[in-house]
Amino acid sequence: MTLDTAISGRSNAVKKWAPAVGVVRKPLFIAGVAMMGILVAGEIVAPGFAAPEQIIKMLVVAALLGIVAAGQNLVILGGKEGIDLSVGATITLGALIAGNVMQGQDSMIAIALIATLAVTFGVGLLNGIGVTVLRIPPLVMTLGMLGVLHGSLILLTRGRPSGNSAEMLSNLVDDPLIFGLPGILIVWIGLGILVTLLLRRTLFGMRIYAIGTNETAARLSGVPVGITRTLLFGLSGMFAGLAGFFILGFTGNVFLGVGDQYMLPSIIAVVFGGTSLAGGRGGYVGTMAGAVVLTLLQSLLTTLHIDPSGRQIIFGATLLLLMLFYGRQQRLRS
Amino acid sequence: MPSEPITAANGTIPRSLPVLRASRIAKRYGGVTALAEGELELAPGEVHVLIGANGSGKSTLCKIIAGATGPDSGVVELDGAPRHFKAPRDAAAVGISVCYQELSLIPQLSVAQNIFLGREKVVARTFVNSRKLNDDAARLMERFQGVAGENFFPNTLVSDLSADQQQLVEILKTAAEDGRIVIFDEPTSSLDNRQVELFFGLVREMKSAGKAIVFISHRMRELFEIGDRMTVMRNGRTVGTFDAADATEGQIIGMMIGNDIVSSAQSPQEKSPQARSAKTVLQADNLTGRTLNGVSLDLAEGEILGLGGLHGQGQSALLRSLFGADPAADGIIKIDGKVVKVSGPRAAMALGLAYVSGDRGRDGTLSHRPVFENLALARLNKSHATYIDVAAVSDQVLPVAERLKLKYAGLGSPISQLSGGNQQKVVLGRWLAAEPRILLLDDPTKGIDLQTKKDLYALLAELCLGGMSILFYSSDDTELLSVSDRVLVFADGQVVDELAGERLTEFELNQAAFASSASAEATA
Repeated sequence: MTLDTAISGRSNAVKKWAPAVGVVRKPLFIAGVAMMGILVAGEIVAPGFAAPEQIIKMLVVAALLGIVAAGQNLVILGGKEGIDLSVGATITLGALIAGNVMQGQDSMIAIALIATLAVTFGVGLLNGIGVTVLRIPPLVMTLGMLGVLHGSLILLTRGRPSGNSAEMLSNLVDDPLIFGLPGILIVWIGLGILVTLLLRRTLFGMRIYAIGTNETAARLSGVPVGITRTLLFGLSGMFAGLAGFFILGFTGNVFLGVGDQYMLPSIIAVVFGGTSLAGGRGGYVGTMAGAVVLTLLQSLLTTLHIDPSGRQIIFGATLLLLMLFYGRQQRLRS
Repeated sequence: MPSEPITAANGTIPRSLPVLRASRIAKRYGGVTALAEGELELAPGEVHVLIGANGSGKSTLCKIIAGATGPDSGVVELDGAPRHFKAPRDAAAVGISVCYQELSLIPQLSVAQNIFLGREKVVARTFVNSRKLNDDAARLMERFQGVAGENFFPNTLVSDLSADQQQLVEILKTAAEDGRIVIFDEPTSSLDNRQVELFFGLVREMKSAGKAIVFISHRMRELFEIGDRMTVMRNGRTVGTFDAADATEGQIIGMMIGNDIVSSAQSPQEKSPQARSAKTVLQADNLTGRTLNGVSLDLAEGEILGLGGLHGQGQSALLRSLFGADPAADGIIKIDGKVVKVSGPRAAMALGLAYVSGDRGRDGTLSHRPVFENLALARLNKSHATYIDVAAVSDQVLPVAERLKLKYAGLGSPISQLSGGNQQKVVLGRWLAAEPRILLLDDPTKGIDLQTKKDLYALLAELCLGGMSILFYSSDDTELLSVSDRVLVFADGQVVDELAGERLTEFELNQAAFASSASAEATA
């Protein structure tokens, strides 16, 4: 075989494989493989890990993470180093408001929901105003907000939070509603459709991608950049509040720091789902898949008796690995 | 060539042996030839003027001499020995100093620190005697006492200085370097008359100290006042060197644009005067801002009004202020005779304005987003739609794509997959889809292919017949003159001349751009 045919043979092979390689690099494909891998590994280590009812339990947990990650996703898509580090404290705030308004009464659920969403939306808007009007970098602004919320929560509750979930809400989260799926999963699927429609079929969605891709061009094309970005932070706060509302239903009552464990995973889920931390690229479907993978991973680690600190290490390392992988991929493309 | 009395062949012999000779210098950037055959010879004790139109290669030639970039071919000889500078410091080490057009000062440092940057006397390898530094700087700054304005002290931070003060510091810094060969690249563009006079005093002192000085300016009056010899460049070539005393303005401009072009001047008659209605659509009155010094204009319905002159004389700033991208500090904008306030792009869009930037990477494209979004963005933002009916919007933007003869795989493919020219068409299409009445074009053909340009010209003419009014800035003089009904010539943020009818020629354009700066100063 001459050198020429060797080269041409190789380039043919590359061509043939190119589409397959493309699929392999797709976030959804990676997430699917990861899910299967974790389920198989879990089943081997602890038979029953991948049983249907067990999977549904894990999906409920994934839904809670997924709802937080929806807001995180929007903020990150908007670009300009958009990130929301205050989601954990906002979740706790949301759960606290919901629990105190509800006080275990079914009749107060709707009012509790409205109050929770209104206040947490307001908290998010403050983040947004800090970022757009005062030009504080999102990292600093939301970190500051995290501190303020943490302190305020302790001050307001004197360290002993009150309030608890109504029975109907707890049932919605835990018990099968339709097709054997708990209500929270139905809510999550509905949310997935809504957020995806928002991103793909509304002017607001188009504006999010526009400011995340090229803010100057967006501004020159008539996008109200500041208002759009402020709303993104508002929505992030609201989604965190919504997650807090359901977490109240999941745990029954409130404890301080109930939301803290969601901050890092909400970012990892977004990145795992293929959304670029630089903004303008990605969508919510991938983030949902990312939330499921992370929850499965967490369950597997728990099954393996890896303590919380070990889980933290693995989660942090996962984020760094993802950054390495996606960063490299983008460089290869350009 | 009977009308050209001076050429390179009969250029005068330098009074003494040249200190520097650059011969047959060529430089390409990508596919663009910046310099094809640059020649320059400097004698000690002379002020050598370098002159040429936009993109003639002056700055590139200077950069090569200063070691800021390497030539593709050609030789730079110093005292008869060829030199290869790998970096600016190599050139600085043999006594070549440059006063750059884009200021090279460090804003966070003081005036004195900037003047002596890298040449401070250091005690014990670490400490700078700042009192001595300030004293030395004060001695140099005395030269501009009384004309430099307020707060011009050795310990003032450069970031607190005005544009002309910064330019003075840049000049003093260059002078303090004490090179044998000193290049001043447009040092006077932000200075007033008194400052220029004192600067010339400095140049004369440097000259009598035996230094060779290169001086670039677009103010013809200054070139004749200070220059001993002149070298004219055109399209990357040196076309002649001669004694300043032997030349006239007209001859120089003739050499700058080339006689061949003068004879084949545009035929503005091909445009029908009826195309221009009497109705004024847009009026600007005394717009003033950072780079605008009181610009007034009026644009008629169906007219293409060109903005010409050298680069960066306020053309772009005018368009951006009209669109609200960088609003002017002062002045009045009227649309249909009514005073309007353009607070930002959204307000401008509501008034029927559209702005197409030639810098599509920065101002135009959403790189990996679909062609669909790139085309529909402005239209949808204007319409206040909430839900996007993709099919309906596609029907609205497809005719635009067709009209632009856009070559693309589909509305869903990312704009980054299109060629540069087609990307620019999409950016223009975004604005056509928004159905504006007034189009502001900011050098829209920069870096796009010839065919696309031709398509664009035809389209502009067609749009005007449909009643669109266009303000058109182009850095390509030929294009500007052939497309525009009238051309306003800009210099130093002012309109210095208006060309129409038979005066729409490159000769008139360059004469106005170079010569009328003197009148601009008189009013300043």
